[in-house]
Amino acid sequence: MGQYLNTNIKEIIDQFPPVADVLKEYDIGCVTCSLGTCLFKDIVGIHDLAPDEEAALMAGIARIISPDREIVIPAVERKSKPKAGEAGYSPPIRKLVDEHRLIKRWVAVIPKFIETLDVSTESGRQLIRTGIDFIQSYADKYHHAKEEAILFKYFDEHLDIIKIMCADHENARGRVKEMLLALDKRDKEKLATQLKAYQELLTEHVKKEDEILYRWMDRNLSMTQIGELFSRFREKDEEFGNTPQKYQELIAQLEKQLNAEEA
Amino acid sequence: MNESNGCPGARMQDFRAAATAEEGTTGGKVKSQLQQWPIQMHLISPVAPYYQGADVLLTADCIAYALGGFHPDCLKGKAIGIACPKLDEGQEIYIEKIKSWLDDAKINTLTVMIMQVPCCRGLLSLAQQAAQSAERKVPIKGVVVGLQGEILSEEWL
Repeated sequence: MGQYLNTNIKEIIDQFPPVADVLKEYDIGCVTCSLGTCLFKDIVGIHDLAPDEEAALMAGIARIISPDREIVIPAVERKSKPKAGEAGYSPPIRKLVDEHRLIKRWVAVIPKFIETLDVSTESGRQLIRTGIDFIQSYADKYHHAKEEAILFKYFDEHLDIIKIMCADHENARGRVKEMLLALDKRDKEKLATQLKAYQELLTEHVKKEDEILYRWMDRNLSMTQIGELFSRFREKDEEFGNTPQKYQELIAQLEKQLNAEEA
Repeated sequence: MNESNGCPGARMQDFRAAATAEEGTTGGKVKSQLQQWPIQMHLISPVAPYYQGADVLLTADCIAYALGGFHPDCLKGKAIGIACPKLDEGQEIYIEKIKSWLDDAKINTLTVMIMQVPCCRGLLSLAQQAAQSAERKVPIKGVVVGLQGEILSEEWL
C-alpha cells in the first residue's frame, strides 16, 4: 500500500472522499487547498504528527481505502531531529515569525480600515496609499522577498508546499495591483473587495507558514544553514535600514487612529 | 548501586547493566571527526583559522564520554572548545574567548552541550554572558545530555 504515499492527496480524496474527514481530524487542511498536488507522504512528513497520531491517521485512511481487508500504510521516513516545537523556532525563522506579527496587526485592522475608506478627499486617499504601501514595502519587498530570495532557496522549490506559498505571494501582488487601480478610479467598493480578499488570503497564508511550513523547514535545516540564514537576514535588514521601525510606528498609528474612530 | 544524596554532579551511579545490555552499533572503528588541536578552553586561541566562520561546539568535558555517537553525530564539521564549569579555574577568560569567537572569528553558530547535572548549567551561563557582551549575534543552541547519553532537550538561547 506504499503506492498511496506517492499519490497526490487530491487524487486520494477524489477516489476516497471520507479520507478528507480523517485528515480534518488531525487538522490537516488539504481539502480546502487550492492545488492539492502534494504527495500524501509529504503531507504526513510536513505536519509532523506524533508517532501514535501518525499510526492512527494511517490506520484510519487504510480502513477507508480497503474496508474489506486489513492493510498497513508504512510509516513515513523523516529526519530524526527533535520537533521544532521542542526547541522553538530557530533564530532566523523566529525573525520571520516576528515579522508576521506586524503583518497580522495590519490584517486585523483591515475591517475597520474598510469601514472608513474615503476615496473622495486627498487625506482619505493618502491614508489608503499608506495601507497599500505597507503591503508593498513591508509585507512584500521586505518580508516575502526574504522568503523567496533566501529561505526557499534552501529547499526544493518544486515542492508543492513552496509553490503554494509563492502562489499566495503572487496572488497578494495581484490584489495590490487591483487596489491601486480601484484607488485611481476612486472605486470604493472594488477597493473594499480587494482589501477583504487580501485579508482572507494573508490570514490563511501566515497561519500555514507559522504552524506548518516554518516548523517543517526548521526540522530540515542544518545548524550551518541556520547560521547562514541568520547572517543573510541580518544583511537584508541592514539593507533596509530603519524601514521595519518606520512600519512598526505606522501600524501603531493606524491602530490608534482606527480604534479612536470606533470609540 | 545508586546513592540518592549528595551533589547530583558527583553522586555515584552505576550504569553497567544498561551499558552492556546492548552492543552499541557496528563495533567497527569510528573515525575521529576532530579537526583541530588544542581543544581545552584555556589552551585554544579563539581566532585560530579553524574557528573562522565555523559552526562551533562548546561542550562540557564529560559530553564526549556520555554520548556514544559524539564524533559522527555532534563533532563532524564543527570546531570545538571544551571546559568544565564545575572544576575549571579562571573562567572569566572563557567569556572573553567565546566573545572573541563571535566578534573576531565571526563564527557561524554556537552549540553549547552540557550534561544534565545542575553544575553544568554554568557553561550555558558563560555562553550567554559572552553573547550579551558581544557586538555580533549568532544562533546559539543549548543541548542537555543525560548521564547515559540521551539528548534530553535542545533550546535556542
